[in-house]
Amino acid sequence: MIPMIDLLMVTISFLLITAVWSHMARLNADAQVPGPPRPTDEIDKVPPEKQLHIEMRSPEKFVLIWKQSGTVISTVDVPRKDVIQMEGSVRVVRFPDLAAKITTEWNSVGTHKDATDKKFDQAILHTDNETPYGAIVGVIDAVYQIHRPLQTPSGKIESLPAFNMTFSVN
Amino acid sequence: MPVQEPGRRLMHHVHLKFVKKRVSGGNHRSTNASLSLTSMIDFLVVTVVFLLMTFSASNETPVSKGVNLPKAENTLDMIDAPIVAVSGSQVMVDGAPAGNTRAIEDAKRMQRIDEVFNILKSKRELWKQTHPGKEFPAVVVLQVDQEVQAVVVKSVFQTAAFAGYPNVSFMVNVLPKTAH
Repeated sequence: MIPMIDLLMVTISFLLITAVWSHMARLNADAQVPGPPRPTDEIDKVPPEKQLHIEMRSPEKFVLIWKQSGTVISTVDVPRKDVIQMEGSVRVVRFPDLAAKITTEWNSVGTHKDATDKKFDQAILHTDNETPYGAIVGVIDAVYQIHRPLQTPSGKIESLPAFNMTFSVN
Repeated sequence: MPVQEPGRRLMHHVHLKFVKKRVSGGNHRSTNASLSLTSMIDFLVVTVVFLLMTFSASNETPVSKGVNLPKAENTLDMIDAPIVAVSGSQVMVDGAPAGNTRAIEDAKRMQRIDEVFNILKSKRELWKQTHPGKEFPAVVVLQVDQEVQAVVVKSVFQTAAFAGYPNVSFMVNVLPKTAH
């Protein structure tokens, strides 16, 4: 009995000492940054893909624009409804309407849906300079809410975000 | 050794009457208290199970003072990468001061933060020297307060991209997943 109690006590001490109480995570994004022209570089000829541009410049609405190599395919306005909730001292901003609309748009226009397709559809977020960072994270979180199946090399089907996110710095 | 009747043994070898009286309780409550082993083991097991369930093998990422991170649901696990923190107008790279954002806030225009650029560039070169032949991951983690304006985020983002880190991760606190 005594060794068992000792073992339990030691385990509790170890777990308490190594406990992590705040769980951090990350949201991934690529940078779309203007750069100098590179005329000497060889450009691989790849067929242009449809991209979803999310314009977050107006406080009243989001504009979802599907573009293919600079040509606008469709434009949709989504009224901006910030759902704000307090989590301790943190003001969490969410956009459930935007997430629902992007899901509908991806279902109708998105190109990479098959589980064997290794590519992802591209979403590009454009914001004005005054937007608070918390709202940007809210939009990225809404985009990552849309999931699709993807077959791993081992044959297992995993659920991953349907979009690859790019943050436009223009 | 003969088998003895079970009972209290503690302090009985002391040949002082008042000690024996006190240990056996005397006129008051005994100083010996019994403990229910079953309840104690139950409690310990429940504590161990709770701590094991909340155990995380990854290290705790330090958050700079004064940074109120936003929260998000659809997140990825943290990775080992340089951390650029923006707290108030102070910028830090891996905890070391790396300039400030006052000029950007005043001008309300994107600008490169030279200190951040130089530190990130040197970190990139160091990584390439220490990992020859390996592909550079080019990931930087931004630890930014939720009230910071987009122009500052864009400036840090652009600076990181120019320094060779085009893959940026935004550090957030995890929100429990809700059913959609």
